Amino acid sequence: MSDKPRKFKGGVHPDDSKALSSHKAIQEAPLLDCYKVIMHQNIGAPPELVVKKGDVVKKGALLAKAGGFVSVPLHAPTSGTVKSIDKIPGPTGISVPCIEITADGEDEWASPFEPIADWKNAEPAVLKQRVWDAGIVGMGGAGFPAHVKLSPPEGKKIDTLILNGAECEPYLTADHRLMLEQAEEVVLGAAILARILGLKTAVIGVENNKPDAIEAMNKVAGKHNIQVQALPVNYPQGAEKQLIYAITGREVPVGKLPMDVGCVVQNVASAVAVVDAVVKGIPSIERVTTVTGKPLVNPGNWKFRIGTPISKALELAGGITEQPAKLLLGGPMMGIAQSSLNVTVMKNTSGILLISNDEVSQYTSEPCIRCGRCVDCCPMQILPATISQAVENKRFDWAEKLNVMACIECGSCSYSCPSHRPLNQQFKRAKVEIQAGLRKKG
Amino acid sequence: MLSEFLVITVGAILVNNFVLSKFLGICPFLGVSKKLDTALGMSGAVVFVMTLASLVSSLINTFLLVPMKLEFLQTLVFIVVIASLVQLVEIMLQKLSAKLYDSLGIFLPLITTNCAVLGCVVLNAKSAPESIQSTWYGATIYGFCSALGFALALILFSSLREKLDLADVPEAFEGTAISLVTAGILAMAFLGFSGLV
Amino acid sequence: MSIAVIAIIAVGILGALLGIIIGVVAKVFAVEIDERIERVGELLPGANCGGCGYAGCADFAKAVVSEAASPDQCPVCSKEDIVTIADYLGISAEEKEKRVALVRCSGDIPNTVRSLYNGVRDCRSAVLVAGGAKGCDYGCLGFGSCAEACPFGAIEMRKGLAVVHKDLCVGCENCVAACPKNLIIMVPEAATTHVYCNSPEKGAAKRAVCKTACIACRKCVKASGEEDHMLVDGFLIRTNYENPPGPELVEAAACPTTALRVDSAHSADAYQGASK
Repeated sequence: MSDKPRKFKGGVHPDDSKALSSHKAIQEAPLLDCYKVIMHQNIGAPPELVVKKGDVVKKGALLAKAGGFVSVPLHAPTSGTVKSIDKIPGPTGISVPCIEITADGEDEWASPFEPIADWKNAEPAVLKQRVWDAGIVGMGGAGFPAHVKLSPPEGKKIDTLILNGAECEPYLTADHRLMLEQAEEVVLGAAILARILGLKTAVIGVENNKPDAIEAMNKVAGKHNIQVQALPVNYPQGAEKQLIYAITGREVPVGKLPMDVGCVVQNVASAVAVVDAVVKGIPSIERVTTVTGKPLVNPGNWKFRIGTPISKALELAGGITEQPAKLLLGGPMMGIAQSSLNVTVMKNTSGILLISNDEVSQYTSEPCIRCGRCVDCCPMQILPATISQAVENKRFDWAEKLNVMACIECGSCSYSCPSHRPLNQQFKRAKVEIQAGLRKKG
Repeated sequence: MLSEFLVITVGAILVNNFVLSKFLGICPFLGVSKKLDTALGMSGAVVFVMTLASLVSSLINTFLLVPMKLEFLQTLVFIVVIASLVQLVEIMLQKLSAKLYDSLGIFLPLITTNCAVLGCVVLNAKSAPESIQSTWYGATIYGFCSALGFALALILFSSLREKLDLADVPEAFEGTAISLVTAGILAMAFLGFSGLV
Repeated sequence: MSIAVIAIIAVGILGALLGIIIGVVAKVFAVEIDERIERVGELLPGANCGGCGYAGCADFAKAVVSEAASPDQCPVCSKEDIVTIADYLGISAEEKEKRVALVRCSGDIPNTVRSLYNGVRDCRSAVLVAGGAKGCDYGCLGFGSCAEACPFGAIEMRKGLAVVHKDLCVGCENCVAACPKNLIIMVPEAATTHVYCNSPEKGAAKRAVCKTACIACRKCVKASGEEDHMLVDGFLIRTNYENPPGPELVEAAACPTTALRVDSAHSADAYQGASK
């Protein structure tokens, strides 16, 4: 491990606006009357429902079991009755099935798991099974089941575990506060994850714009032989491939996974969830989410149960002072714009962000002037300008040849484009078309 | 001897490029340069036919027309020879290699009317008697290299045109117009090679 | 002997020699080509729309001659054309009902709730952003991916709604594949009355986002009486294309949202077709 992290090529430096909420301690959100838990919260197969309408459930009880290996179970955020199994608008705008639970106010635990206090001597397989049973997904935003990443296939040797505390998305401070306030848990989580992978150590990568978090981590890291790596501030430093490069100097080839270069990356929030699951026996039913934005009266960080409607979250933040222009789930760079306040907090909802009218650009896109800014800032070193032209002409074969599949959809190109071209959206489109084409071919 | 071959090679491919400085074979140059794949097919066919035509025509010229003092029939005889050669190749290819025929087949009849082939053969026949080009092997090499020059121009141009597909071209320039402008600029670029030999 | 005679003889011999060689080679290397393929290709429309499922008209001609496909698989050919091809090949042509595209949505911009969207103006791209800007998850997005896919210019974009002009539609189904919402279906040309809605949501949810959605009030079902013209599919009424209703049903049913319409009224205006 070098002391000086490598700087990946490209990247952008948007105004991070983290000061809005970075000094606000994490608060426990009050218990609500009703939670709407979206069924499909992970990448991969949707879970299979095990409750029905009218069932009485306790907090932490199983609502749905994993629907395959790349799938995680779902647990009740509080005790109460299953009111209905209906559809609500999902974070991608399409209606998705959800389980509505009316809280009984008791918030009584079902205690589904036995805590494993002596995790240091527990079998890695047992710990991994616990991570799966607790329904832990990548809480940075992708929602990829954590246990899958911890199960390298035969023949692939993992030598580095990286905990992602970069939190490079502007505005978001949930991971920052978590590292500050629950430093011990983060480090403990890293140690448990390292044990599952058969490693002695792990690295926690934190961007330099959080010096207090780095200090807090350094104070406790020694306890479990964990290293803390300060990283240069550069969006998207927290993207998996960029993080691996910064810390180990290894490049993940196009179409390969971090496992192929011997690395596993987990989010710091996932690490805390692992501690909850293993040491306390609590499934993944809550998460720290930043509710922020200039139009909000009182931005901050809250620990929400999954299934909390966004409208309630915004109420907690004091409501709004002006009509916002956009509501995003996630950060401003990769977050998804919402058209409904009925969307609920999911396991991967890292932020709820309101954008004011003077921050948002409502320009129409203009022709490419070939300035090359997108090429300079692309962290994957592909050619956004050329690919965009190919996509505009429906030449997806060409886009594929130009490696559009390597795009991590970080949005740096769209951010830097002086012609306001919707580059990121075009690449998403191209990726969907190419994947559909591959499926057709079989 | 070797230097003479070098002069022929560099001269035919770059300096006196058939398409871009002699302006021969413009119709296939514009006609089949929309896609790189077809351009490659056409290039392959031209290299094949031009080399063969150079060899056969040179033999006919040296051993038939010159001894019988029939040089004034060169153009007529060469056209007949090229046309039948192409016909022969096409028929044989269809039978022997259906795959090659499918990729080259449609271009073969086009070559009959490709003035680059006739031009190459005539240039061989008209070359100074003491030059290496007037021998049958010299002529063959010249034909082969000229064809390579043609292929180079065609492949360059088709790659450009593929990119041009994505460009925002003013409406008045769309299609052939912008292609001709591009070809002109490419020809100007090739002027840079003049004086090399 | 004058040079002219030598020239004539020399060229004559050369010509004859080459002729003989070509003749011999052509015999030796003869490959049988079915000339019927070319003829059938000429009779086909040559639009290469792919509606038959083959790579183009030439490919389809090959399949028809080898009897892997029947000429009536071409959705573009008129009945007469199909009969001509069948007669030429000496096979019998089956009578086939012509089918045309139908966009099952009537939610144009004045009648629907939409959120602000300033991304790529293309349906398939818009779907990637929050499922499109329309309040209804199932309706026409209105960026005209289907109109662009139509090689015959039969789809008009009118106030953010795709409208099929069935006199121009040949039934190639290119638009069906282009629509990310799977809104477009093929219906018999003879059917005139359709439900222009495809949302399976509850009536109230639909009304909240669209004034012209089918709210499943079943007036049309009642109006069709004993006849099985309309089918109830959850919170949506669908036209039964096995037994399609006539235009009189629209008046009899008095659809409160006008989701049930006669197609000539739905697409009525002076559209001439887009040039392609």
